Amino acid sequence: MTLQTPVLEVQDLRTAFVTARGMLQAVDGVSFRLERGQILAIVGESGSGKSVLSRSILGLLPRGAETSATAQVLLNGQDLTRLPERQLRRLRGRRASMIFQDPMTSLNPTLSIGAQIVEVLVFHMGLAKAAARARAAELLRSVGLPEPGLQLDRYPHQLSGGMRQRVAIAIALACEPDLLIADEPTTALDVTVQAEILDLLRREVRERQMSMILITHDMGIVAGHADEVAVMYAGRIVERAPVRPLFAQTRMPYTRALLDSIPQLSAPAHGRLEAIGGRPPDLVEPPPGCSFEPRCRFATARCRADAPPLQGDGVHSFACWHPLR
Amino acid sequence: MADLSRAERAPRPAAPSGTAAPMDRAARNARAAAAHQKARRVGPVFWISLAWLALVTLAAVFADVLGLAAPDQSDWMALKAPPGTGGHLLGTDPLGRDVLSRVIHGARVSLTVGITAPVIGVGLGLILGLAAGYYRGWIDEVIGIVIDSWLAIPGLVILLLFSVLYGGSLFMVCLSLGLLFIPSAARITRAATLSCTGREYVLAARALGASDFRIITREVFPNIIWPLLAFVMIDIPIAIVVEGSLSFLGLSVQAPTPSWGGMISEGREYLEAAPHISLIPTAVMFLTVLSFNLAGDAMRRRVSGGRGGAI
Amino acid sequence: MPYLMRRLQRLLIVLLVVTFSTFLLVSVLPGDAAYQIGGMDASPEEIEAIREDLGLNSPVILRYLSWVAGLIQGDWGTSLLTGESVWDALVERVPVSMQLMVMAQIMALTLAIPAGIIGAWRPDGPADRALTAVGFACVSMPGFMTAILLIYYVSLHLGWLPATGYEPMSAGLWANLKPMILPALSLALVEWTALMRTLRAEMISTLQENYISLARAKGMGTLRILLVHALRPSGFSTITILGLQVARLLGGAIILEQIFGIPGIGRLLVHAVYTRDLVVIQGCVTFFALTYVAVNFLVDLAYAWLDPRVREARSHG
Repeated sequence: MTLQTPVLEVQDLRTAFVTARGMLQAVDGVSFRLERGQILAIVGESGSGKSVLSRSILGLLPRGAETSATAQVLLNGQDLTRLPERQLRRLRGRRASMIFQDPMTSLNPTLSIGAQIVEVLVFHMGLAKAAARARAAELLRSVGLPEPGLQLDRYPHQLSGGMRQRVAIAIALACEPDLLIADEPTTALDVTVQAEILDLLRREVRERQMSMILITHDMGIVAGHADEVAVMYAGRIVERAPVRPLFAQTRMPYTRALLDSIPQLSAPAHGRLEAIGGRPPDLVEPPPGCSFEPRCRFATARCRADAPPLQGDGVHSFACWHPLR
Repeated sequence: MADLSRAERAPRPAAPSGTAAPMDRAARNARAAAAHQKARRVGPVFWISLAWLALVTLAAVFADVLGLAAPDQSDWMALKAPPGTGGHLLGTDPLGRDVLSRVIHGARVSLTVGITAPVIGVGLGLILGLAAGYYRGWIDEVIGIVIDSWLAIPGLVILLLFSVLYGGSLFMVCLSLGLLFIPSAARITRAATLSCTGREYVLAARALGASDFRIITREVFPNIIWPLLAFVMIDIPIAIVVEGSLSFLGLSVQAPTPSWGGMISEGREYLEAAPHISLIPTAVMFLTVLSFNLAGDAMRRRVSGGRGGAI
Repeated sequence: MPYLMRRLQRLLIVLLVVTFSTFLLVSVLPGDAAYQIGGMDASPEEIEAIREDLGLNSPVILRYLSWVAGLIQGDWGTSLLTGESVWDALVERVPVSMQLMVMAQIMALTLAIPAGIIGAWRPDGPADRALTAVGFACVSMPGFMTAILLIYYVSLHLGWLPATGYEPMSAGLWANLKPMILPALSLALVEWTALMRTLRAEMISTLQENYISLARAKGMGTLRILLVHALRPSGFSTITILGLQVARLLGGAIILEQIFGIPGIGRLLVHAVYTRDLVVIQGCVTFFALTYVAVNFLVDLAYAWLDPRVREARSHG
């Protein structure tokens, strides 16, 4: 394979929140790399730490959250965790940008669409207002908004959810970043719109030779739109493989359960993981062994005592004492 | 793909943090919890405020047995005496009356009004709010309009009107001042009642034939009693301030009964020559109001434990 | 504009209720105008004659309507004591009070906006704690108290500004502003805390919004996020408070005009109260109610400006 620097390399990322009960370990030692042009899906239930992981990468954690000092987040070989805020800001939205889950709340209701795109172009690219406006219209056209010139002066509430997510994508693409992090970009949208948005994202990523982290809880989305998959549970990656082997030969019982929960066309769009009983473990006082053990059909005494490490053959890795065949 | 697994196999710290480092985790948890506790604990400021309020209250209650000069007794040998001279600890006013004695007797008026008025206002507000929230419809509408209208006139103007019409007895001051506290209490009661009566258990109680009175006392009341007590706490310093303003204008309790606002007003002419006449009651009133505010805030913090902030 | 229409309707009802109540207060309750004119020792027959003269014996509703008709034509009655037209008195006094309150509110906002932003930026940080402490001290000091302290220190001690007095605008801008600074500051120092705390609280919750996360992900700096992205959506409660404060400002102005000898509506009212000049009192209260309604309607308009969503529809209690 190529020897070029990966777009993103994450080493032993740990993020914890201060809560009234103690430290909540939301991300617990995650490592992975992402090559140029690849789409990596990070899958897990809500609360598995996937959103916190995505925010930790760009240093966008709320106050009260800490990332461990040993963690490394290398974007094009540059360690973001060591960068001062001022330089980090120069990279956010420029080299790496984000799309959030709910387009209803991720655009500022008091600023026009145009203003929200233009400010990125002015800040990062140093464009003049007029040039930035022209470029913004161009971006809106490329994400499929009709009459982009008119849209610039409209406000978010005047657009539908799908339209708003297109605007959010236009903002994210504005500076042609190397890395796009899409945090459940379609969860809040209608099923028909979901497919359109995902297709748009994939097309843009491919055309611009970008890399993307696609965060989702929906294995169905993973199958159609990602190159590789990392399954997260209780703050850790528990299985990791390219899409095809993962679906063909699932090793982790948790991944299996996720696959079983892919919503059927007839099922409601937000049906969540009925296949797995129980709830994820308490992240303030996690169990000593495998974190999935309490909910796992195959659990043994060993699972209760020791946490299985993530290991594999270089293509497919998993963290389980009793992998499925 | 080889690169991928190398990254994954990169040395992890000794073991997953849950197993090998329980001590470390326990210590971190304890630290985090302690930090949270600290945010909720009441500090020394709270106790100092409480001590000052206790001092003022005790002095006001036992004013007659403290061996002070009568508040309206003039010492003609010591007019406008500065503090500490002529046997007057805090000096005398333009009529030679002992400032300490007058401040303490003034505390009686301020504390009486400060506590009675909010209780009256919150009590009446409770009744109106309950009626509006429980019965809704036109009753709600009418009460809403009355409250809006009440708010349309500055509180002090309402008090001035009352003083014109009914004069300035202590009772009338308490009552008219209390009326000013109706709107806020009524609004919060109405909101709480609305959210309460929508709940299933209240609907169920209704369906089972519970009387309105019973539902209100059993289901609605316990939910609003704490917010309303908080209102009383907030309103006390306000009541003291407004009474001060009124007596500053000479429209509260009538002379020669001393009141803080009145004392401040009387000393106004002599600010240059004998500033203590105004400044001492100013300081006492300020400290009292501040103490009520601080104590109230500390209690509110303890209940809610506010924290936040994103960037 | 269904929302604005609904608000306007409610405000007009409030205006109706307030004017009717003040009308009742003055014409029906004890101490009515006939006694004022006739004096304490007037005989019942004399009183009756005066009542007939003033039209006090016709039905209340009719008298109210004719009073309102008078109001609209600028006939707000005449002072029972001086015979001066209430309308003329108001026209003369109101601009003075207005100036005082506008100056005070500008000062209050100048203090409150930066302080609120700083507090929301780092809640419970050292700056926030310091500002909260100062704010607490300020709300614990009624306007007349602040005024006494300011007079004592700034006027008497430093001698920078006059302790009392008023100069019309015709005497020059600075001559006009100079004596207004201390009273306006006294008012502002009481009012700014509420504005600061409200802005701070609303801004803290705004900063939790997803669009703030997005702004951060776009690389926007803290200052830009605070001022461009968070300030405007956080303005609602602050503007509401600004509207509610008008009533309190009027109340505060009454006392401060008294202390600083400013010939505004507050002094007119207090003088009328001292002399029990009910017609003047009635005029003042009516004016206050009108002001309240006007200001609240302006507040609603400001909502619409702040949030484009309101321009279409906003269901709000």
